[in-house]
Amino acid sequence: MSVNLPGTALAVAAGLSAGAAAAALCAPDRIRVRLVGTLSALLGAAGAVAGGAALAGHTYAARLPDLFALSGVTLQVDALSGVFLAIAGAVVSATSIYGIGYASGPGRGRWAQALWPLFAFSLLLVPAAGSVSTLLVAWELMALCSLLLVVSGDPASGRVREAGVWYAVMTHLGLVAILTGLLWLGAAAHTETFAGLRIAAAGISPAVRGGVFVLLLIGFGSKAGMAPLHAWLPRAHPEAPSPVSALMSAAMVNLGIYGLVRFGLDLMGAGSRWWWLTTMTLGALSAVYGIVQAAVANDLKRLLAYSTVENLGLVLVGVGAAGVFQDSGHPALAVLALAAALLHTAAHAAFKTVLFLGAGSVLHATGTRDLDELGGLRTRMPVTTGVFALGALGAAALPGGAAFPSEWLLLQSLIHGLAVPGTLVVVVLPVTVGAIALSAGLAVATFVKALGTGFLAKARSRAAEQAHEARGSMRTGMGLAAAACAALAVLPGAAGPALARATACAVPGGGPRVSAGVARQLTALGSTLWPLMLVAVTLGALVLLRAGLALVSRRAGQRATAPLWDCGAPPLTARMEYTATSFAEPLQRVFDDVLAPESDLDVTPHAESAYLVERIAYSRAVPDRVEHRLYNPVVHTVRRAGLAARALADGSVHRYLGYGFGSVVILLLVLAAAR
Amino acid sequence: MLSLLRKIVSVGRVAEPAPPRPEPAAADPAQRIRTLRGSAQVRCVDAGSCNGCEIEIGQAFGPVYDAERYGARIVASPRHADVLLVTGPVTRNMAEPLRRTYQAAAQPRVVVAVGDCAIDCGEFAGAYGVEGAVADVVPVDLAVPGCPPAPDQIVAALRRVTGR
Ligand code: SF4
Repeated sequence: MSVNLPGTALAVAAGLSAGAAAAALCAPDRIRVRLVGTLSALLGAAGAVAGGAALAGHTYAARLPDLFALSGVTLQVDALSGVFLAIAGAVVSATSIYGIGYASGPGRGRWAQALWPLFAFSLLLVPAAGSVSTLLVAWELMALCSLLLVVSGDPASGRVREAGVWYAVMTHLGLVAILTGLLWLGAAAHTETFAGLRIAAAGISPAVRGGVFVLLLIGFGSKAGMAPLHAWLPRAHPEAPSPVSALMSAAMVNLGIYGLVRFGLDLMGAGSRWWWLTTMTLGALSAVYGIVQAAVANDLKRLLAYSTVENLGLVLVGVGAAGVFQDSGHPALAVLALAAALLHTAAHAAFKTVLFLGAGSVLHATGTRDLDELGGLRTRMPVTTGVFALGALGAAALPGGAAFPSEWLLLQSLIHGLAVPGTLVVVVLPVTVGAIALSAGLAVATFVKALGTGFLAKARSRAAEQAHEARGSMRTGMGLAAAACAALAVLPGAAGPALARATACAVPGGGPRVSAGVARQLTALGSTLWPLMLVAVTLGALVLLRAGLALVSRRAGQRATAPLWDCGAPPLTARMEYTATSFAEPLQRVFDDVLAPESDLDVTPHAESAYLVERIAYSRAVPDRVEHRLYNPVVHTVRRAGLAARALADGSVHRYLGYGFGSVVILLLVLAAAR
Repeated sequence: MLSLLRKIVSVGRVAEPAPPRPEPAAADPAQRIRTLRGSAQVRCVDAGSCNGCEIEIGQAFGPVYDAERYGARIVASPRHADVLLVTGPVTRNMAEPLRRTYQAAAQPRVVVAVGDCAIDCGEFAGAYGVEGAVADVVPVDLAVPGCPPAPDQIVAALRRVTGR
């Protein structure tokens, strides 16, 4: 029997995870950070190998009945899991290496470090799960580890604690939805393994499947930052330590997409059209809402978190479109849309890792995430600025950036899909195309703002003036992720065969011909990008040539320098620059009705005369409107209900015993009646 | 758009016929102008004028006197300019900006002092806010006297610079 590559790699990853966690707890302080970081990076590499092998066509299935009480552990890895395994593994590697430099400062506890490899392993375990119970256990492990890591940043800070509470509540409500949905599905299908579900799902009534899908959409969608269930994202991501934010934003949220694709498309066989139209609509809504919020955000990491909402929205659009096309009998289009979604997931993971790690370096160097306080980092942090620029190019979905091929592919699949009949489709598809175009345009503005006001021009605060370049390991981590960005931008065609295999898992009926078509599409896209690459290479060569000539020529020393023209009235100060707030002001004005920004002007007159002004205080905030309108009423109601329910718990033991007895009796009655 | 076109057609050309070409300043050994031939990019600097001179400069570049047909063109930054058209007495606040503007202009640069104030502080000589005439602050190449000088005089001076 030959060695099964994905299985072996996963076993190695499990071992490394245990080893790294043990090292974090026991190793002496001198080598601890380095050891844990290296082991975690290897763990990520093992995960990436497992994913790569699965994408290359190896599959793995195993049942380990003794590993976990009652249900055992079932694993299965196919090409679809492979996509998410490979992404998670690669992100874990880059962030772990980065984490070595990031964590070297004081105040990083052993526990937080021990959680890191566990979280990383749970990210590999979720896509490798082969049964409902294994998936749920892995999912909860992932949720708990990430929650603890979020609050590990600075547990004493009120904002961190608040973010932790939001995240804990929302992720567990999501878990409840997933749990209910999957148990319902399992009960209806009388099996819990994926292989069994795939066969039994066709026999389940559409109503039950619809109900299950809605629950799964809520659960998985909230993990994927789908509006309006995104509220935890812009809170948890900024407060978490930066490598954790990178891992959450680039690897964890993807698993929401994985869940939807696995259960909705693969196991439940695409179901009905309304499922996917809903997914598409919510995806388009998330994309636009996310990027509008990102465009006006001042906090660099909050901006990135909202950009995650946007990008995952785009992925949801792709998944939804795949479902719609599959349902209406266009497997070729479905494969194309799903391939675009998966490719975008990978691209987003690459550039978001770069961006979050870059933001982490900035935070590490300056102690602030407020774009208004930054600026002028280019001269002091050239490497960080360079990789951040590459990531921003990707996030802006411009040609030459990582996200361009996937968004282009997505738009293509949607435009071809206009031939699909159906009134709703005819309305939803063009609107979605418009939403994607709008979000792409706003993404450009957002990332011009992030890079321009954050890194260029002059420093606007002392902290930014005294910034220092990131440490060596941090630069390595960012560099690895940036290399992935560049590879995805230049050679999307190389992903063709792997994506064809992955989509074939979820969209049956495509057949080899259709998959080959997707591969060809990607190759064609890759070749259309070649002129761009030629231009880039030529430009790069010219710049190098010029620099070389300047070095060798005699005139190099005679270069004239002149002061910047400042209208004759010096000096130009940093206070004259565009800040993030002023740059976004026109956008804020345009989207006034959507954002409902709050600004407050407080004028204090002089004590002696009402006409003389002593002080003017101006404050501005753009709160998340969905959160205000949707969550606050719910939170208030729950709080009121909780206060009212206090009367039930008055401290009397007799009463509590009575409650227990009463509920057992009711349960028995219900069970008896249901038989 | 259409009404604009109609206006152009109905009004026609209003520029006055070009007077004979003045002798180019470059031929004048007393003047320091050497290399400007054919065209000049002009930046106006108001160093403290009463705005009378500005109005006349505006006329010089208007449709009637049309200095542009002789190769002079107003630009928005001294970085683009060969010629500085300086008006007014140089006030204390404008002395340094005028020096910087002169430094910022491309070489070879030509400074034209427009109006009596620019030449010798005119009306404002001895006033408390006045630093001096333009020549006290930057080297002047050509002067256009008058309070304010008529547009055709300004045009004639510019033609001496462009040589057309
Ligand atoms: S020369 Fe006469 S018109 Fe020109 S600035 Fe002086 S006072 Fe005004």
